[in-house]
Amino acid sequence: MNSLKMGILRYSRVMRTHQPHKQIKPVALILWIFGTLSTCAYGQSNTPTALYQRSLAATCANCHGTDGKGAPNGGMPLINHLSKKQMLEQLLAYKAGAKAGTIMPQLCKGYTDEQLAAIAQELGSHE
Amino acid sequence: MNKRREFLGHGIGMLGLLAGASGPARANLQSAEIVVIGGGYGGATAAKYLRLFSNNTARVTLIEPNASFISCPLSNLVVGGSKNLTELTISYANLSKRHGIKMMQDSALQIDPETKRIKLISGQIVPYDKLVISPGVSLLMDSIEGLSNANRAGVTLQAWKAGPETIALHKQLSAMRDGGVFAISVPEAPYRCPPAPYERACQVASYLKQHKPKSKVLILDANQDITSKGALFRKVWAQNYPGLIEYRPNQNVIAVDAKTKTIKLEIDEDVKADVLNLLPAMSAGDIAVKTGLANSNGRWVNVNFLNFESTAQKDIHVLGDAIQVAYAMPKSGHMANQHAKVAAAAIVAELNNWEVNPAPVLTNACYSFVSPTQAVHVASVHQYNTTEQTFKPVPGAGGLSSEPSLLEGEYGWGWAHNIWADTLA
Repeated sequence: MNSLKMGILRYSRVMRTHQPHKQIKPVALILWIFGTLSTCAYGQSNTPTALYQRSLAATCANCHGTDGKGAPNGGMPLINHLSKKQMLEQLLAYKAGAKAGTIMPQLCKGYTDEQLAAIAQELGSHE
Repeated sequence: MNKRREFLGHGIGMLGLLAGASGPARANLQSAEIVVIGGGYGGATAAKYLRLFSNNTARVTLIEPNASFISCPLSNLVVGGSKNLTELTISYANLSKRHGIKMMQDSALQIDPETKRIKLISGQIVPYDKLVISPGVSLLMDSIEGLSNANRAGVTLQAWKAGPETIALHKQLSAMRDGGVFAISVPEAPYRCPPAPYERACQVASYLKQHKPKSKVLILDANQDITSKGALFRKVWAQNYPGLIEYRPNQNVIAVDAKTKTIKLEIDEDVKADVLNLLPAMSAGDIAVKTGLANSNGRWVNVNFLNFESTAQKDIHVLGDAIQVAYAMPKSGHMANQHAKVAAAAIVAELNNWEVNPAPVLTNACYSFVSPTQAVHVASVHQYNTTEQTFKPVPGAGGLSSEPSLLEGEYGWGWAHNIWADTLA
């Protein structure tokens, strides 16, 4: 129960303090946050944190498929071959304007770095 | 005897008090009957994600009258004749086969929030602990005088819900003489799918350019300007469809005469047209209004944006086009799908006795086809603002296409195939 409460607190703290316009933080900090994210069983929502993280990642599913499993030959670039690290790097690069695209740079700017890290954790490939 | 009954009554009352200090005992995730009304982009997604987010333990029923899902997004391509409705039609079978959702092909006639029961058209009574309604919009036919009669006479139609009317509108377009006028009227915002009337104008113009070049599309817009993607549409109209699209802002349609095919405007002179695609004002779907949920102007449903629960009735969550939107939140299929995921996660959390996610996020992505193959998009990201208790678009995020392209057309179809799978597969 304690760990569950900690999970909620940690998540609430992270989510409530989001500031979309903050400058990109040092990569080390983002990777640290990345490391603290829920690593529970794939496709399960057994804790509040896992559920919030899964529902956050589900904002991507409209274009990239449920749990990141995109429709093959559906016309949208597939993402589920990317490792968690590769995915986070790409999302941050879109957000920073370092990677070109049509809609992705616009969408990535709407998420905090912590949220992008949570999404990569959730949708990056699970070997 | 009487005394005994009285006593029993008191006894039951006492038991009730003991069972839950703060009201009746709540159902838990495994025992709760969760019912979803409406199998569109909002409702079908909610049903599926209630199962996913509960690790397939929640009991979910989906009530939907149609045998198959028909996508409203992309249906303007059917109006223009470059696609068939069958390409936008998807079976509901996977929701029961793969996700264990109980499907009922039926319609909700009445909801009693006190006893938590739904009466269906078939006469069946369905009880619920948690109810999700995604009823879409109702067209307020009386907002244009004579429109109901004109519809009945087969003169006007809306095709604002994809289905037989979509095909019928294409038939009216094919039957129109060269030199004819295809009139589209746009109601004052908010209405379902802001860019859709202008996308429709493109698709009809594309057909006219090829088959009936002496004809034109006339857009009568009750709004001051194009409500979405304005600069992009204007550019496309000028470049791709010169002389084929006439746009008139501030034109509120007040009446229609079916016999003479005449449109009466609030200020300007009457207009005659060959095809009359008149869109009246809209409200939340009938069942939401009938249940007393439309507490915003009597038209839309106010919700708590953390869980999409109606502010009028506890345990009834409302999604999609039917809600009173937050600032800059469009009434779109994509947005309804996103509402559904926030609501599903919140319902699962509540039934688990967990805190509801305090910081949900929504996105919107909307592709409009400006020709049979080229598209433009508009996108936005909406973060929950704790202080103001609403979703707000993130400044600096989102935006528009720089220009129409084939690549965006491919992505438009990519969006469709993925959201259909996300909603139904």
